Amino acid sequence: MALRDVSLTIPNGMYGLLGPNGAGKSTLMRILATLQEPDKGSIHLGYIDVLNQQEEVRRTLGYLPQEFGLYPNARAEDLLDYLAVLKGITHRASRREAVETLLKQTNLWDKRRQKLGGFSGGMKQRFGVAVALLGNPRLMIVDEPTAGLDPAERVRFLNLLSELGENSVVILSTHIVEDVSELCTRMAIINRGQILLEAEPLKAVEQLRGKIWRRVVEKSALVKLEREHAVISTRLLSGRTVVHIFCEGDPGNGFEAVAPDLEDAYFATMAGHYGNRKPEVAL
Amino acid sequence: MKIWTIFRYEFTYLVRCVSTWLYGLVLIAFAMGMSGLISPGDGVYPNNTFLITSIAVLGGLLWLVMGATVAGEAAARDVQTRMSPLTYTTPISKLHYLGGRFMAAMAGNALLVLLLPLGLLLSFYLPGMEEEPLQPFRPWHYGSIYFMIVLPGAFVATALQFSFAALSRQVMTSYGASLLLALVAQILAVAVAKLFGNWDLVKLLDPVGVAGIVGNELQTWTPSEKNTRLVTLEGMFLWNRVLWIGVAVGALWFTYLRFGFTHRVSSGRWRHFEWRSMAPSRTTAEPAIGRAAAIRVPSVSRSFGFATWVWQTLRIAGVSFVRIARHPMGLPLVGAMALALVVFADRIMVELGIPLLPTTQQLVGYLTAPINKINTPWVVIPLLIMYFVGELIWREREAGLSDIADAAPVSDWVLIIGKFLGLGLIILVWMALLMAGGIGMQLSLGYDNHQIELFVQVLFGLQLLDYLLFALLAVVVHAVVNQKYIGYLLVLLLFSFMAFPSSFGVEHNLLIFGADPGWWYTDMRGFGSTLRPWLWFKAYWIAWALLLTVVARVLWVRGREHGLQHRLRVVRHRFTRSSTMVALLGAGLMLVLGSFIFYNTNVLNEYLTSSGLLEQKVDYERRYGRYRNTLQPQLTATRLRIELYPDRKAAEIQGTYTLVNKEPVPIDTLHIGNLSGAASVEVKFNRPASPKLVDHALGHRIYRLEHPLRPGDSLRIHFTVHYRSLGFRQNGTEELVVKNGTYFTNYDLLPAIGYQRQRELNDAVLRKKYKLAARPALPFLYDQEARKKPFSTDQAFFEAIVGTAPDEVAVAPGTLQRTWTEGPSTCSGQAPSSGSGQERRYFHFKTSTSIGGEYSILSGRYAMQEKDSNGVAIRIYYHPGHTLNVGRMFRSAQASLAYYTEQFGPYPYGNLTIVERAGGGGGATADAGIIYYGETYALMNPDDGSEGFDLPYYILAHEVAHQWWGLARLTPAHVEGAGVLIEGLAVYSGMQVLAKAYGDGHLRQYIDALHASYEMPRSLATASLLRANEPFLYYRKGGLALHALSEYLGKKKVNGAMRELLRKRSSGAITAPTTLHLYGELQRVTPDSLHYLLHDLFVGNTYWRLKTKKLTAEQTKTGHWEVTLRVEAQKLTVDSSGQEEEVSMQDWLEVGLYEEGKGLNKPLYLRKHRIRSGEQTIRVTVPRKPDRGGIDPNHLMIDLRYDDNMRQTGK
Repeated sequence: MALRDVSLTIPNGMYGLLGPNGAGKSTLMRILATLQEPDKGSIHLGYIDVLNQQEEVRRTLGYLPQEFGLYPNARAEDLLDYLAVLKGITHRASRREAVETLLKQTNLWDKRRQKLGGFSGGMKQRFGVAVALLGNPRLMIVDEPTAGLDPAERVRFLNLLSELGENSVVILSTHIVEDVSELCTRMAIINRGQILLEAEPLKAVEQLRGKIWRRVVEKSALVKLEREHAVISTRLLSGRTVVHIFCEGDPGNGFEAVAPDLEDAYFATMAGHYGNRKPEVAL
Repeated sequence: MKIWTIFRYEFTYLVRCVSTWLYGLVLIAFAMGMSGLISPGDGVYPNNTFLITSIAVLGGLLWLVMGATVAGEAAARDVQTRMSPLTYTTPISKLHYLGGRFMAAMAGNALLVLLLPLGLLLSFYLPGMEEEPLQPFRPWHYGSIYFMIVLPGAFVATALQFSFAALSRQVMTSYGASLLLALVAQILAVAVAKLFGNWDLVKLLDPVGVAGIVGNELQTWTPSEKNTRLVTLEGMFLWNRVLWIGVAVGALWFTYLRFGFTHRVSSGRWRHFEWRSMAPSRTTAEPAIGRAAAIRVPSVSRSFGFATWVWQTLRIAGVSFVRIARHPMGLPLVGAMALALVVFADRIMVELGIPLLPTTQQLVGYLTAPINKINTPWVVIPLLIMYFVGELIWREREAGLSDIADAAPVSDWVLIIGKFLGLGLIILVWMALLMAGGIGMQLSLGYDNHQIELFVQVLFGLQLLDYLLFALLAVVVHAVVNQKYIGYLLVLLLFSFMAFPSSFGVEHNLLIFGADPGWWYTDMRGFGSTLRPWLWFKAYWIAWALLLTVVARVLWVRGREHGLQHRLRVVRHRFTRSSTMVALLGAGLMLVLGSFIFYNTNVLNEYLTSSGLLEQKVDYERRYGRYRNTLQPQLTATRLRIELYPDRKAAEIQGTYTLVNKEPVPIDTLHIGNLSGAASVEVKFNRPASPKLVDHALGHRIYRLEHPLRPGDSLRIHFTVHYRSLGFRQNGTEELVVKNGTYFTNYDLLPAIGYQRQRELNDAVLRKKYKLAARPALPFLYDQEARKKPFSTDQAFFEAIVGTAPDEVAVAPGTLQRTWTEGPSTCSGQAPSSGSGQERRYFHFKTSTSIGGEYSILSGRYAMQEKDSNGVAIRIYYHPGHTLNVGRMFRSAQASLAYYTEQFGPYPYGNLTIVERAGGGGGATADAGIIYYGETYALMNPDDGSEGFDLPYYILAHEVAHQWWGLARLTPAHVEGAGVLIEGLAVYSGMQVLAKAYGDGHLRQYIDALHASYEMPRSLATASLLRANEPFLYYRKGGLALHALSEYLGKKKVNGAMRELLRKRSSGAITAPTTLHLYGELQRVTPDSLHYLLHDLFVGNTYWRLKTKKLTAEQTKTGHWEVTLRVEAQKLTVDSSGQEEEVSMQDWLEVGLYEEGKGLNKPLYLRKHRIRSGEQTIRVTVPRKPDRGGIDPNHLMIDLRYDDNMRQTGK
């Protein structure tokens, strides 16, 4: 996905990148992780010029890609140790300690002598987390990290991220709105390579207060409703359809006001009714 | 039809792959290029079937190692791309899935190899491609070659590649199948054939055809057959096709049975063959964790200094090393080769079939090969390097770990160097394995002087560096190309460029990556002067390597951007200070070293391309060929004062030639030729003469004598030659004057009188190309004019004083008169002082009679032993470590001198010098009164028991025979058959001495060796012995024919005829003998009843086909045995075009019967019978029971199948 005119300012703390599949999140993340370069533009992390000082960026970086593989015949402990060396932890004792701690923390300690080829999706993901955490990164870039984690793991990991966010930058991309709403101090919504909204999640929700209306209708009435109102989301509920619309004033017509949540903000932004970075072409 | 859909999809996919087109392009280019490069012989059209067949076969080999992925992808792409869960769950049958996929791969490959004949066609018929006239276009030629040779080969290969990949579920294993077919099967076939001595087995076993068709079948074609003959589907070739197609079908069937649409759980037998299975291994369940305690991240210290770099590099190197070491091909292949060295040590360490002492000198020569030499077993090492470089470079990306690894704070340098080092470590281990194999070889042969330091020097110094440079090149190519398979292809192409640079028009070693002038090591010379140029060249290539590494570093792909544009953009800010520094350093060094080498190879020394060399010869003939028949005075005495300076590789020669006008007319012009370019020469005369022409470039001078030299008058020429080897050359020409190993001939440094005929181009095709008058390589036997001219008219007395280093001994022809030492002060004023003012040793040699026009000067730290043989002093000069054969040589020389004196007349030279010549070589050569043998000869360790074969004994006897049958004495006319008079007579004489010393057993071994060269694939259409024109006829057929005659006529008669020939030559009755003279002498001693045999052996090109079909023995009442032999006989002649014609025979042939357990030398019955053409029965009665018997048991006739001459007695 090509990115266009993306300019973001990311402070300390957790930063959520929200957007549908293929919106350009991963591209943006890879650019931040020095794996890809924009045709134009500049990126600065603190005082570091990302494009020209890749080495410096990498020293502060913890990166968990959305998709990655592992050497199937390697053992978890060995590979983590190897990657620790690549991350610059050359002191043997501290490397060993870091590897041990991280394997224990990610519940992989018992599997440390097992071949990575035999890891399940979740175990693999946890191994990736351990790799990303190696070497106290000041910038964490995690691309869809919770995919494949079981609920308990997900909570643990997100907690960890928010702790890390206390004194470093954590950029989290996800298409799960809850992840952002629960944790992030700031967020951006991205679609088709463009940033549609950049805000603090709570403020974004606050600004929508009184503009989101809800009504439960039969499926057959949906088409008419979509013509008349700015529908931002529909959801099936016990065979009927719950419709959320965006409207500055009371739309009447049987709609009731609802307290907006981040999901509403997301859908409203995606639908083009909301956002501080309107695209040039209305969607 | 599902199978059709699968086929169509797969085929379309194949067509859309860039790599497929690339393979096609390479194949077409190969066919066109090769066709353009190879020039057909005389009388052969450019579009001959010989060429088409060879190129089709060789192109098939190229396709095999290059395009294995076509079948591999078809078989295993689904697993590789992890798409298999989707495809394997569709309701298709195994047959349809595999069938469709295989057919698509087969169709693709069939089209690819079709490009070979197509490329050839283009090279013939595309305008501007071919200038020579073509023979008519015959489509069936191409059809036959494609359908009989190329397509079946492609089918076999595709089937095996497909099976390997499908069963292992990896695309790459298809390369394993290719390797198996290209190397293992090939090498195995040749090994089996050698082991059993049956070359037909190669035809049967070789699946590719490089050895079986090109190396075997095609070699038997005559020039006229080359135009239109085709390999026909019959005999061994038919069975070959049947065998391999059987193997292919079997492999496919096995694949069909074993293949399953299952999710592969890595277990079982196949696991050991899988290197990196893409399918996940068995996963383990784990308990769900409910606690949600936060993760505590340990705080660690990190550093990013130089030390970290080193750490990281070493770690990457270690991991890369372990990865290759664990690969099934990583260590086992080289390990197996090392083991094979030990197991087959007694088969490998042989020279001319005779066991050699496994000295370290021999072993390091055997264990190493220049990286670009592809006809050694060690070619697997560059091939393995190529393979593993690709795997290492692509490792992270193929495992999907590249994002994580690339985002790690590691310098690109660390990644590149780490991987390179890992590979370097593997190569190091390979070298260690080879060294272990070498030492194991010595141990298994019971040799214990290991010279470990030499092993280390050669394997871990010279050879390792070569491999490392090549590995780096491969790394750079992969980094730059950034497409795995295209990378492989490009490295392969670069490798073929390195292997055949002259095919690409490049010859200078400065232009061929990693090339060097070569090195050698011998016990006498050590590395000699080869090490220094080698090091300069390597330093130059290391400079290139630095530069290339920077290229790899700046173009190294890190992250997701693969576009060229992007990579070029990145280059800018990747040129950091360190990169720039290294690049500048590399470029600087490269320029400085390159200039230095160029100065040495092209300025200090003359650099000639191979065509330049040819043109020089052409120039020489064009300019001075007109003096070919100009009368010149004859050399009658040579006096030399030679100062050798082995330390400085220099020599100073002052000489005087005495020339006598033996012609009936006065001579006023003198031609002096052969003035080598390496030396400067001054010439003075003892009578007024002026230079008319001085041609330094071609080494020819013409002087005009003020007063013509009248018949019978003499003239003296004084000359001084200053020789000094300056710098070094780009290819390793042998040095003439070297420490402990000086060896040069008069042709190398000394002037010669007259036009030098031997400098002319001999090859008929080349002569035509350079528009020189067509002439046969040797003048026609019946050319009366040519018959008047002997090989050389020089017959000179020789005297030389040779000075050399104080620790060396100089050797020259003649008797050593005196030896003395001169102190530094008395050193000749003219000679450039050697700086240190060393003392020098002098040796004065003088011959008692005239020797021919050829001799050599040697110097080394020789040991010497002397023995007397009936008044002839035999002196052997040998390297002090090479004592094994000194006693043997004395025995042989003494026996030979005695026997030849008795049979052929007195030995004329008074003394016999035998001297070891520095450098390899298992043979020996002879000049008048002096014999030179190579260092390998000194190491021959034959079995001299009655069952053995003392070849070195024979070789020396052969060389001693040249004292009678040599250029210096017999001096035959320079026409066809001359070689028979020199070599044929010497072979026959040597055989007699061998038989006299060791009995029939050794002689029989030698005769078998002569016959064995008939079994090697070769054309039957040779010249007759009278008009012999190739060494095969001089040595092999000449020896066999004379031996057969001596068995029919008796040794005495044959030897008497030879003695008579020599007598007539010495007395001047014959001035220039030819084979006709020999024939005349032999005829005189042959009874009429055997004239037919003499004719068959010398005049005709005759072959016999003799076979015993049945042999029965019955006991009579008297206790005797009545034996019945059913034999079949046939005699045919083959003309020069290969036409066979059967001639009726009524020949005397031996019939022999042998008892059980008794050898051929103890026949129960051996008598000559008249045998006519066709089948016939022979009855004989013998006193005891024969065990076996047959016709021509002693193999006296030329018969291509000897094994059916005899058979066991049946009921």
